[in-house]
Amino acid sequence: MLEVKDLKASIGGTEILRGLSLRVDAGEVHAIMGPNGSGKSTLALVIAGHSDYEVTDGTVEFRGKNLLELEPEERAREGIFLGFQYPVEIPGVNNAYLLKAAVNAKRKHQGLDEIDAFEFLKLAREKMALLGMDPKFLNRGVNEGFSGGEKKRNEVLQMAMLEPSLAILDETDSGLDIDALRAVAEGVNSLRAPDRAIVLVTHYQRLLDYIEPDHVHVLSEGRIVRSGDKSLALELEEKGYDWVREAANG
Amino acid sequence: MKSPTLSIDALKKVVAALPEDNLAASRRAALDQLRQDGMPGSREENWKYTDLSGAVAIANRWLEAGAKMPRAGVAAADDIVRTIDADWVVIDNGQVDAQAVHETVIAGVEIKRLSGSVEQLTPSGRLGDLNAALLRDGLRISIAASTELARPIGILIVDRADSAATVSQIRVDIDVAANSTASFIEYHTSSGDAELYSNSVINLTLGDGSRADYVRIQDRDRVHEQTGYQSVTVGRDAKLRHCAFDFGGRLIRNDLVIDLANPGGNAEFAGLYLIGDGQHIDNHTRTDHRTGPTESRQEYRGILTGKARGVWNGKAIVHKGADGTDAEQANHNLVLSNNAEIDAKPELEIYADDVKCSHGTTVGQLDETALFYLRTRGLSQHDAKQVLTRAFAQAIVGKSPISSLHDFLADRIAGRLDQLMQETDV
Repeated sequence: MLEVKDLKASIGGTEILRGLSLRVDAGEVHAIMGPNGSGKSTLALVIAGHSDYEVTDGTVEFRGKNLLELEPEERAREGIFLGFQYPVEIPGVNNAYLLKAAVNAKRKHQGLDEIDAFEFLKLAREKMALLGMDPKFLNRGVNEGFSGGEKKRNEVLQMAMLEPSLAILDETDSGLDIDALRAVAEGVNSLRAPDRAIVLVTHYQRLLDYIEPDHVHVLSEGRIVRSGDKSLALELEEKGYDWVREAANG
Repeated sequence: MKSPTLSIDALKKVVAALPEDNLAASRRAALDQLRQDGMPGSREENWKYTDLSGAVAIANRWLEAGAKMPRAGVAAADDIVRTIDADWVVIDNGQVDAQAVHETVIAGVEIKRLSGSVEQLTPSGRLGDLNAALLRDGLRISIAASTELARPIGILIVDRADSAATVSQIRVDIDVAANSTASFIEYHTSSGDAELYSNSVINLTLGDGSRADYVRIQDRDRVHEQTGYQSVTVGRDAKLRHCAFDFGGRLIRNDLVIDLANPGGNAEFAGLYLIGDGQHIDNHTRTDHRTGPTESRQEYRGILTGKARGVWNGKAIVHKGADGTDAEQANHNLVLSNNAEIDAKPELEIYADDVKCSHGTTVGQLDETALFYLRTRGLSQHDAKQVLTRAFAQAIVGKSPISSLHDFLADRIAGRLDQLMQETDV
């Protein structure tokens, strides 16, 4: 589904990704771990199409299409979803309005009619119940005055409504208490499907107790230095990131 | 730049030809005052950014051509009267619509011509003198004590300039007596290809314990000019909720002067200006806290594109002894082009000790992070910009005190923003 080859990317002249390769197939859950500054968030943002990052080398293909040629909105409509590490507060833009606009942008791209207002509300309420969100959040400004946990639930709500083919969740577990973490994990797990792939970007192993990955990659200094199954995450938790850095350098 | 010069000789002739009614003495007094004071010029701090020479030139051409006052024709206003729910009175090219005055029968409300109800016009600055000197007639709207109005009273100011320079003077005195609640919509519209200058004076007096909700909408033709002066005197424990929207006009200068001279007086006011290429919109507010406890809160917002020029100047004066004053000012601007210019200036003058005052001004562009966020949800760049711009403006609609106007305002704002965004091609 996603094929990243020798990707190099920089921001303001500083190279962050230094030849990263990654292959994600449908039905898989990947976890990308690594210390702060290793390039985890950069990878997520480059795949989503953030214009601050300049791709200097390498390729990113999504279902055989050259992703790097597409605008962020085109990538979204093609089925890529980025769950933000810091979801943006947008005062004055109604949460329901954004959800609906997002769903309809994708439907239009697929040649479908706009979603029926009643259907939309029913679906949104269903997903919110699953995430333990009060339906009143629909009528609030996007993330406006939301707590950290509410913002992350709201990201997962958007993902659940959009049903992406590839979901990249950037530090979705950071700042969550245990209840919120469970709710978010449950939301993510409910989306696991044979035709969908999920990439979890995380600093800590904790999230992986709730969402079991098929593959774990360790990122260091802009490259994947180690890949394995879920036991790699546990090993990492035990030995710390220095172990990886040493292994990579040595 | 010096002060633009009004053609006093032509003005004198025109004033002399106006009817010898109750207002005649006020007209002559205003003329004398004008002869002494002249028009505001750009050397004055208050007029530094707004040059009235264009408006004065229109006035001179109109005066020298005999100061004709054709009727605009009320038909031009039909749309607004049909769309916005209110009891409307119409002022047509500066002339009070006699029919409207006679037909408006609202319990607790008296609407009279100024010529038939006042001895002397309230002095209202130099543009107020120009207004008084040339005033045919104005309106006096009185709300009786302890009245609660069910519908807003609408003051529809319609101007039309078809073939020659046209000038209109509008004057309305409004009294809301003690313990009454009333809402008002002041709507300015104009049409026609010729040049037009409209000059209005609205004096609002709020009795003790009263409340006025006031919305001013200015949607003039993009080649017309306007100066508008509004004073508000706030009684003891009285409340003003004021919101102003500027969409049209070539040169627009609004002055809102609020006097808080009684304990418990409270004024919340807000404004929104959407300015495109070739437009100049200036909002000056002045709030006098003469005693405490009194409270004033204002927030103006602007969106500018093309070579738009905006001015916001919010002045709050806390006079000696006005302890317990709470004054807050905010002005936020969204600048969508490289050539637009905004001069934003909060001013606080404090002569009392126990006061709470704050101000904040921002000038910025659309938030890139929010734009990216929306695009990752599938919204096109254009739609994302539109959504953020509307949301920025909508915050002021939320502050507008007459909720029956909210849908109308949201539609008008959306329409105007679409135009502005097309012009700048953002």
